[in-house]
Amino acid sequence: MLSRRTRIVLSVLVVASLTFVILDLRGGQGPLSGVRSVAANVLGFAERIAATVFSPVTGATEWWSTMRDQSAQIQALTAENEVLRAEAETFANDRARVMALDEVLGIAGVGGYRIVPAEVIAVGPAQDFSWTITIDAGKSDGIEPDMTVINGQGLVGRVVKTTSNTSTVVLVVDSSSAVGGRVAGTEEIGIVSGTGRQDSLSFQLLDPAADLRVGDALVTFGSKGGRPYAPGLPIGEVIEVGGTPGQLTRVATVRPFIDVSTLSIVAVVTRPPRVDPRDSVLPRTGISDPSPSPVPLGSGASEDPGDTGTTDGASPVPSASAAPERETAATPEPSESGG
Amino acid sequence: MTWRQAVVIGITTFLAVIVQVTLLSRLGLPGATPDLVVVTVVAIALAMGPVPGATAGFSAGILIDLAPPADTLLGVNALVYIAVGFITGFVIDPRDRTVPIMIGIVGLATAASTLAVAALDSLMGATRVSWEDMPTMVLTSALYAVAMAPLVIVGMAWVARRVAPDVSVLTG
Repeated sequence: MLSRRTRIVLSVLVVASLTFVILDLRGGQGPLSGVRSVAANVLGFAERIAATVFSPVTGATEWWSTMRDQSAQIQALTAENEVLRAEAETFANDRARVMALDEVLGIAGVGGYRIVPAEVIAVGPAQDFSWTITIDAGKSDGIEPDMTVINGQGLVGRVVKTTSNTSTVVLVVDSSSAVGGRVAGTEEIGIVSGTGRQDSLSFQLLDPAADLRVGDALVTFGSKGGRPYAPGLPIGEVIEVGGTPGQLTRVATVRPFIDVSTLSIVAVVTRPPRVDPRDSVLPRTGISDPSPSPVPLGSGASEDPGDTGTTDGASPVPSASAAPERETAATPEPSESGG
Repeated sequence: MTWRQAVVIGITTFLAVIVQVTLLSRLGLPGATPDLVVVTVVAIALAMGPVPGATAGFSAGILIDLAPPADTLLGVNALVYIAVGFITGFVIDPRDRTVPIMIGIVGLATAASTLAVAALDSLMGATRVSWEDMPTMVLTSALYAVAMAPLVIVGMAWVARRVAPDVSVLTG
């Protein structure tokens, strides 16, 4: 059926192929590896030339398939981009909120205040010339009128009205607001009143002869029972001192620590600390003495007599004698601000 | 088979292999890569006969296994292509060398060689063959082969007549 020559050629070819298969089955280091690498070099050279010759064709088909895929790819990437951008924006927002909460918790932790965090949900119109905000915590959260409101920078204001889920807060910069203030370090006291402008407060020293310098920090003096103002909260920094020592009254301009226009996370002090934190809550850069010894305030001591025994040793006599004076200085505030 | 035929076979299979790896496999067509090598082997077998067909199959199979980036077992493709070349050259009757029949033979041969290479490869345990894709691969490779067949067959027949006329076409 097949000629002799055909059979010979066929069997030679098949035997050669089978030999290659068997030799190659032995793996990479078999006798064929040299042959393979030489052949791969020769064929690779030819392929390189051919690839250059065919590059317009392959380039065109690649371009075509790219074009085919591109619209889908653009759509997918656009969608992904939008998702990521939204995520990034919320991330920045979340981060800012976390940082604000962190700062509030830091103040509350250092001072020992018990707080309820809240978010500003509305701000009173500027043309009312009153600085009020609404926060999303109310009676159901344990908020009552005349509680102190703080944020990470310091004193924000006090609660004037509450509903079940919201509260209205009068900011410290409102012109009706008056807070008993104490100069950190020198213990001089006075009244910090709002001017109606968001970046300045006026501070009236009770002792006209007292030494007051630009850069002095003010903290709250504290009201009776911690209401409406808890003690030891940073208020602001003296930026300008008016009058001269010895004048009947001396008034200084104070820049509040809080930035009224960017208020977002605040906290309501539901229970002031038993012991006045004094200056310990102030920003570290603003005060020279990093760790003042806590001294019980007159109001705090009268409120919680059991506590006096433990801190009695730390309480200096002048402070105790000055306490009634401070009380009188502090008590007018609610009536002033309330009225 | 004459020396001129052998030279033609060598050059043709070499070109087919180079074109296949550099051009056809880069076209990114769906399914299998158009198997120009098998089509060329079949075309040689149809034009020159079973022995040149088997020789072309051997040459093409060895070259396709050697050409980078091939990493298959050397000789497997050669065995299959020898069979393809010999059988297609043997069964073709000179009297019904009509284009449709030859194209049909190309399609069948390509499908069979795709299957046979896959079967042999998995038998040797050399490559992982995914059998779920095999129907698609067989079908698409046959379709591409049918599409390429007229040009390659006519071209090969022309070359065989002009460059290496040989009476062995008829004797087998």
